[in-house]
Amino acid sequence: MRLEINNLHKSFGETQVLHGISFEVESGKALGFLGRNGAGKTTTLRILMNLFNQNKGEILLDGKKFRVNDHQIGYLPEERGLYPKKKVIEQLVYFGELRGLGRKKATQNAERWMERLGVTEYRNKKLESLSKGNQQKVQLAETFICDPDIVVLDEPFSGLDPVNAQILKDIIREQIDKKKLVIFSSHQMGYIEEFCKDIALIHHGEIVLKGNLKDIKRKYGMNRLTLKDSSRSKEELKEILEKELPSLLKSVEIRKERLILELHAGREKQEFLQEALSIGLDIEEFSVYEPSLEDIFVEKAGDIA
Amino acid sequence: MKNFWIVLKFELMNFYKNKTFIISSVIICGLLIVGMSIPTIQDTFFSGSDEQAGEEGQEFPSDQTFGFINNAEENVDSETLQSVFMAGQLQQFDDQESMEEAVEQEDIEAGFVVTSPTAYQHVIRNNELTGSTHFGFEQAFQETYRRSGFEALGIEYENVENLVHAPIQRDTVILGTDSAANYLYTYILVFGLYFVIIVYGQLVATSVASEKSNRAMEVLVTSTKTEYLIFGKVFGGALAGASQMALIILVAMGAYQANSSAWDGQLDFLFDIPLSVLGSFAVFGILGYLFFLFLFGALGALVSRTEDVSTSVTPITIIFVAVFAVSVIGMQNTEGMLLKVASFIPFSSFMAMFVRVSMGSVTNLEVGISLGILLATTFVTGWLASKIYRMGTLMYGNPVKITKVFKMLFSSNDV
Repeated sequence: MRLEINNLHKSFGETQVLHGISFEVESGKALGFLGRNGAGKTTTLRILMNLFNQNKGEILLDGKKFRVNDHQIGYLPEERGLYPKKKVIEQLVYFGELRGLGRKKATQNAERWMERLGVTEYRNKKLESLSKGNQQKVQLAETFICDPDIVVLDEPFSGLDPVNAQILKDIIREQIDKKKLVIFSSHQMGYIEEFCKDIALIHHGEIVLKGNLKDIKRKYGMNRLTLKDSSRSKEELKEILEKELPSLLKSVEIRKERLILELHAGREKQEFLQEALSIGLDIEEFSVYEPSLEDIFVEKAGDIA
Repeated sequence: MKNFWIVLKFELMNFYKNKTFIISSVIICGLLIVGMSIPTIQDTFFSGSDEQAGEEGQEFPSDQTFGFINNAEENVDSETLQSVFMAGQLQQFDDQESMEEAVEQEDIEAGFVVTSPTAYQHVIRNNELTGSTHFGFEQAFQETYRRSGFEALGIEYENVENLVHAPIQRDTVILGTDSAANYLYTYILVFGLYFVIIVYGQLVATSVASEKSNRAMEVLVTSTKTEYLIFGKVFGGALAGASQMALIILVAMGAYQANSSAWDGQLDFLFDIPLSVLGSFAVFGILGYLFFLFLFGALGALVSRTEDVSTSVTPITIIFVAVFAVSVIGMQNTEGMLLKVASFIPFSSFMAMFVRVSMGSVTNLEVGISLGILLATTFVTGWLASKIYRMGTLMYGNPVKITKVFKMLFSSNDV
């Protein structure tokens, strides 16, 4: 399956929230939907789930108009919520039945997911008596109960401790392996880097970056090097490089313990290395720069909004 | 469609498992059973003393003693006077002094001095505002006068008595509706309907609002169609209310049957409602019930917190109470213009038309038109309610104004 989101526009009253969002997702790949708070992630996912109508744009599945009710979708909304005064098993079975499972199958699946997420002991407890993390796990069980073909998770990791985050990571990986179509939004880059092949970065209601994560990283690493000198501080080193090698270096930037150097187009790292040695640098570490997703995120969406 | 039944079942079970629902049903049924058993309880525990009092009452209406002096012996027969005196014992005294002493000693209640066939003196200790000791004597005194008068004319007094106080028998043949007998059961049915709608309307509105406040809504509306959700919820609430009412009626009937010997058929008219009346109650009642539940449900979707529900439903509650008032007042005069108009307006027709069917005279055509209007508006309301519900479900924050809702309903892009 291939889900295409084309040129979504959305306004609430006078405020335009989305200015033409487009991205694609395929089965068996997870799309990480990134963005800062208020960038428009949840609005986009809500339009996808037909909770809001878009003002413009379309959503296609395999080239045909996407209708939410025609598919099994596991949706974890940003605003978590089930029935606080109902027993865990009752509401899981109810939602399973609403999504088309028979009562028996719904009960089986509910039991299986409770087991998987480690909340079986709360089976007959009212939801409100559970801790927030456990409620979140019940909500996840609800999301996966009908074995959805399309999984849409809005900030799935918020509120989970590292152990539970690991359980969820395993589940998401399993969904990807089962060739499910997975979209999940987050502002926690680490999780997205772990298992998303593709990303879409939304900023102020626009997609500022999208595509294969490896390609993006490579592109961002192109012509960039990292350098560390054992006998000089990074400030001194920066000053020397800017003075001695302007013909080679487009920019020099301090990031944490090392310098990030960007070469002018057409210049090679060997050239730089020779020059660096000739001006007597005491190189401790030298490598091709591989940016973290966080670096890219900060660069693309880092302006103070 | 399957999902409609799933929602309905879930909502219905929510009601049935609700403690308030269970407790209120138990209390109402308990009160009915106790109330219906009162005559039996009376018969069992208090019957003996009751009968005794009755017997005493018949033979000795009063054990009080009165005194009299006859100063008109030639015209007034003392024996006749004593025999027709019904208010107690009437004792004859020879002189005024001894009688006055007896009054003062409280041996007798009061004394009477007969001075002529049509005049007497009333001797009492203290004159009280409500003093009535002379009524019994005056009646006997008058009868004595009549008896002697008729005797003097040679007429048997008993014959006159039979002529003057001949018992009259009345039979009423009712050609139209017997409003008097229908009044009570119509009132009970209308009141029951009022009660069920106001209680379940609130419950449905609260249930919708709480799904918004606990955010179950977003999962619900992405799991199934909103039409199924609101229709399932409304029909679930309607069924819960109807079954509670049915239970109460059945318990009342059962308790009445169980105590039938003590009641001696006194309440038969309550449970002997004509089928046509029951039929119109069922049809109009159910439609009106659904109509209002849809309105309450839609209003519940306009607020985000359950605390705001009562504010949101106030306008419709006021209308509803007014409808109830018009219907009850209309029961006094089923031909009144107000009731006639009300019986065609969908907000009030379900109650007003039922009152007219039950207690007044109304043509089948009128009933048909009113029913048609109600049916159509209930469908439209259901459809509108599902739209409002769909729209209201994801609007959090301040309660939404109804005018804004209609503006938004006709501009599809806003949500």
